[in-house]
Amino acid sequence: MGHDVTLPERSRGVIALREESCTSCMVCARECPDWCIYIDSHKETEPATAEGARPRTRHVLDRFAIDYALCMYCGICIEVCPWDALFWSPEYDHPSTDVLGLTHERDTLGVWMRSVPSRPTQTG
Amino acid sequence: MTPDALLHLVNEITGATTADSFGTPTVDLAVDAWLTSAAALRDDPRTDMDYFDWLSAYDDGDAGLAVVARVWSVALRHGSVLRARVSRDGGALPSLTGVWAGAAWHERETHEMFGIEFEGHPDLAPLLLSEGFNGHPLRKEFGLASRAAKEWPGAKEPGESVAGRKRPLGLPSGDRWGTT
Repeated sequence: MGHDVTLPERSRGVIALREESCTSCMVCARECPDWCIYIDSHKETEPATAEGARPRTRHVLDRFAIDYALCMYCGICIEVCPWDALFWSPEYDHPSTDVLGLTHERDTLGVWMRSVPSRPTQTG
Repeated sequence: MTPDALLHLVNEITGATTADSFGTPTVDLAVDAWLTSAAALRDDPRTDMDYFDWLSAYDDGDAGLAVVARVWSVALRHGSVLRARVSRDGGALPSLTGVWAGAAWHERETHEMFGIEFEGHPDLAPLLLSEGFNGHPLRKEFGLASRAAKEWPGAKEPGESVAGRKRPLGLPSGDRWGTT
């Protein structure tokens, strides 16, 4: 489906994920009024890098998906994300003929980062 | 007219407590003043609120059910919000259909969604719900089947892929959904 449409760059078409910023903190999934964000993660221990230091535990994201069949595009997940990992993208062309096809996984959510405007709008 | 002047005017015409709500006067009316005050705001040339915008309600817990209506003056470009509280059990309010005919659909919807009677309404048949639907979906005690059927995605802890014990906020507690 391709349409020759010019949209303002800050149009709210879809929600994109910058995966490297996500810490799997679960805040977006818990704040989502529609319960449409699914996150799986596991812990990994990194060995100490210096003498006397402790090994560090970090969370590794296994799954990040948004079910756009349920999402009402309220943007609360973007607002509450403490790590700036979620963004509005102007891309809107993501329909499906199958309801399960509206659940988009992190790879697709990541691709939409390409159209996210680079800086926030300056306001007075 | 400034918001402040309109607030005082609405208060003067209705004689009821009027508060500013984001620049719109919100007047709390007694049930027996509901019709007369609405008609007065419509007919007084200073308010001239001839346009009925909408009517709905909200569940205010122990304080009962609040019916809210917004009216507007097309000519003067100002409006007011009317509010009246009714009992949860058998709450009733006179129908506004004699003042603004357009209130009929709004009162039908509010009747089925909250179980509020509108006395004098020509036909309170269900508007959106199917025939024989049991319950009033916009009351807080009405359990959301979709919430009971679906697992909360936020129950997992960071770094876990199985649900923990965390429960969603803002939803009824207890073992049974729909109980508070």
